[in-house]
Amino acid sequence: MTSRTSSLTATNLSMRFGGVDVFSDISFAVRTGHVTGCIGPNGAGKSTLVNVICGVYCPVGGQVFLDERLLTGASTVEIVRRGVSRSFQDVRIFPTLTALENVQAAMPTRHGEEVYSFLFGYQASERTNRAVAMGLLDELSLADVAGRTAQDLPFGQQKLIALARTIATGAQFLLLDEPAAGVELDLIPRITALVQRLAQQEQRGILLIEHNVDVIRAVAEDAFVLQGGRVIAHGGCQQVLNDERVIKEYLGRIYDA
Amino acid sequence: MGSIQTLAIGLGMAGYYALVAVGFGLIFATLRIFHVAHGTVFVTGGYVFFFLHRLYGFDLATSAAIAVACAAILGVAIDRVIYIPIMRRGGGMFAVFIASLGVALIFDALYLVLTKGVLAIARTDSLQIWNVGAIALRQYDMAMVVLVLVIFLLLYLWLHRTRTGLEIRALTDNEMLAGTVGMNVDRTRNSIFLIASAMAGLAGVLTAYDNGINPDSGNRTLFIAVVAVILGGVRNLLAGTLLGSVALGIITAFAMFLYPEWVTFCIFAMMIVLILFRPKGLFG
Amino acid sequence: MEHLLFIGNLICVWIIFSLGANLVIGYTGMMAMGQAAYLGVGAYTAAGLNIFFGVDFFTASLAGAVVAAVVAVLTFLPLLRLDGFYFALATLGLNFVFFDLFHNLAPRVEGSEGLYGLEMPYIISRPVGLFIAILGATILCVAICWRLDRSPFGRALRATRDKPEALQSLGKDPRKFQISVWALGGAFSGLAGAIYAATLFYIDPTLFTLNTSIAVLVFIGVGGLASIPGSILGPVVLVAFTEGLRFIGLPSTLTAPIQSALYGLLLVLLMMFRRQGLVGNYDFKD
Repeated sequence: MTSRTSSLTATNLSMRFGGVDVFSDISFAVRTGHVTGCIGPNGAGKSTLVNVICGVYCPVGGQVFLDERLLTGASTVEIVRRGVSRSFQDVRIFPTLTALENVQAAMPTRHGEEVYSFLFGYQASERTNRAVAMGLLDELSLADVAGRTAQDLPFGQQKLIALARTIATGAQFLLLDEPAAGVELDLIPRITALVQRLAQQEQRGILLIEHNVDVIRAVAEDAFVLQGGRVIAHGGCQQVLNDERVIKEYLGRIYDA
Repeated sequence: MGSIQTLAIGLGMAGYYALVAVGFGLIFATLRIFHVAHGTVFVTGGYVFFFLHRLYGFDLATSAAIAVACAAILGVAIDRVIYIPIMRRGGGMFAVFIASLGVALIFDALYLVLTKGVLAIARTDSLQIWNVGAIALRQYDMAMVVLVLVIFLLLYLWLHRTRTGLEIRALTDNEMLAGTVGMNVDRTRNSIFLIASAMAGLAGVLTAYDNGINPDSGNRTLFIAVVAVILGGVRNLLAGTLLGSVALGIITAFAMFLYPEWVTFCIFAMMIVLILFRPKGLFG
Repeated sequence: MEHLLFIGNLICVWIIFSLGANLVIGYTGMMAMGQAAYLGVGAYTAAGLNIFFGVDFFTASLAGAVVAAVVAVLTFLPLLRLDGFYFALATLGLNFVFFDLFHNLAPRVEGSEGLYGLEMPYIISRPVGLFIAILGATILCVAICWRLDRSPFGRALRATRDKPEALQSLGKDPRKFQISVWALGGAFSGLAGAIYAATLFYIDPTLFTLNTSIAVLVFIGVGGLASIPGSILGPVVLVAFTEGLRFIGLPSTLTAPIQSALYGLLLVLLMMFRRQGLVGNYDFKD
């Protein structure tokens, strides 16, 4: 496991594709033990933000730090090893693996996962991993389908498997890209409870990107609103959600619709 | 043999390559099909011509016309009977590629049984030679270069002056777009396979008449054509394949002259290097 | 009897070769079209060491597997950044490149196109002994693959095949698994090549052409992708069929084309009707 850190900070991040600004000058911090919400309409650049933090794209300006250490410029794999992992909005589970295998494949232990170690001597660590993975699946009401191939499960359950997979990496900071979108309504409390437990008990720092304002309201202490590539409000969650401009620009439209 | 003489021979070979390459490139660029069996279509043209002319005594023009028609029909048939059903059943590019390899294997085996692998040359007399200074130019090669240029000109007109041509170019540029304007993809597809296969069949006829063909010729010519297409790039298909074929004709002619043992090595090493560094083509 | 043992040896060679190819193609989803190159490297290494340097055959076979794995990795590294289709084409090109290398550079016995004159250790100098040794090696290879199939490594290979970018986002580099499995596939091919040399007592470059790479594609395509029973079933069924043709008295000038036409027909039918093969767990994607 990576050494304990206390914050993931982005300073003045800007991203541009082919001369078009996706976002510019974005700064925020995610602290361990806290959930930071990020809301904004489609096309506001939320997923691109995750891609930039995780090293999929290199920002045209600004930096991301893990405490004092510069994260920008490292490879995706290296960034996860330093403790920042993400989930995808469009799921991307391993379709031919079972639900349990999906989660186990994400675990950081490397026993039996190398070309020179697959024959013997990984059984003990594999049993532990399996128990941890089953625990995660159980927490998301997926224990019954643990042995089923992921591609045969409905979208909502695939989404939850992907969430469990991201958590299973053991990364200290989790960037969750709309984990509740497409999930059955009665499972959403499970997700919020899990996110809260991760922050409070395991001291993880979570950036929760969501469309669903109720989910943000339920778990996030801090929040910021992204619109048109800029942060239009940030601060405490309640304060942001009650901000006049946010209500007018964003929330109003949702409630109208 | 001087290097200018080798150059002349290379230009002669470039003609066959160009005819096969442009059809392969057209199919690859528009339909994303890696049509290995295009080599089979080429060799089928050659064999039909050879058998009609030498075994059944048809005159050259009739045999050639029937051979080109057979090749064209075979190409369309492979698409309709094999590729389209595979794609309907959810198979993708690899599935079609592998099935295409299968088709090539079947026909290679057939021709091996029919000919016992003996080289089939249709001409019985030697060819007229023009001496220009120290270089011997064969009339046949010159005629072929002219023929290839005329065919490329016609292709250019077809692609740029007809409605079908417009639809085909739309496919090359953007297949999504082509789908949305509601063009008749099936009919366009048939035209592509028909024209491409007819050209491959013609190349087969010309090769069988002069250098001769054996069951291996199909795959060999096809892979040279593939390298020519990769060399030229599919973005600018006609000019690209023409340039790529000329370059390959000259390279293979020199390689055969200088290091005959290493011709295959040269072609495929070049292909790998191209894929690694210029997958969009040297001129693309 | 001797001929039956020979057929048994041949089936074993193709089983080991298929297992290696299935690890690469079926489990990890890389379209390798030139596996015969590594078969040839293994065969030439083992036979060359044995004939010219007097290395005993067991050591020479192991050396064949190791050298094939090393050559496999060295040729694979430059291709790592290619995506699916160009990758297939490049590996196919490698097969031709290696054919010319074998043809022009590999040692040959005076007056022939290839190599013969293997010196076998006493215990495998008789056909029965040889067959038992080859069968033992095959069982060992099957056991290794069987362990791999249910190990975390096997799981990581399947994850690499399914969604490499998702694996990356979980902190694991898919390229590491691709290189590892390519080495492993190379080693299996190399070992199969060494055993092939021991079975035929003679090798020449024509044994390692594209046709052999296509043959292994047919074996695992018919048997089943990402499946160990499939890797065994394919060679057994197809070699039995070819030998059956010989048995009913078809002249050898016809068996080769018929076998090749059958392989072609099987490829077409598989792609049309059953892309995962007889007992496969995966199908030729895209």
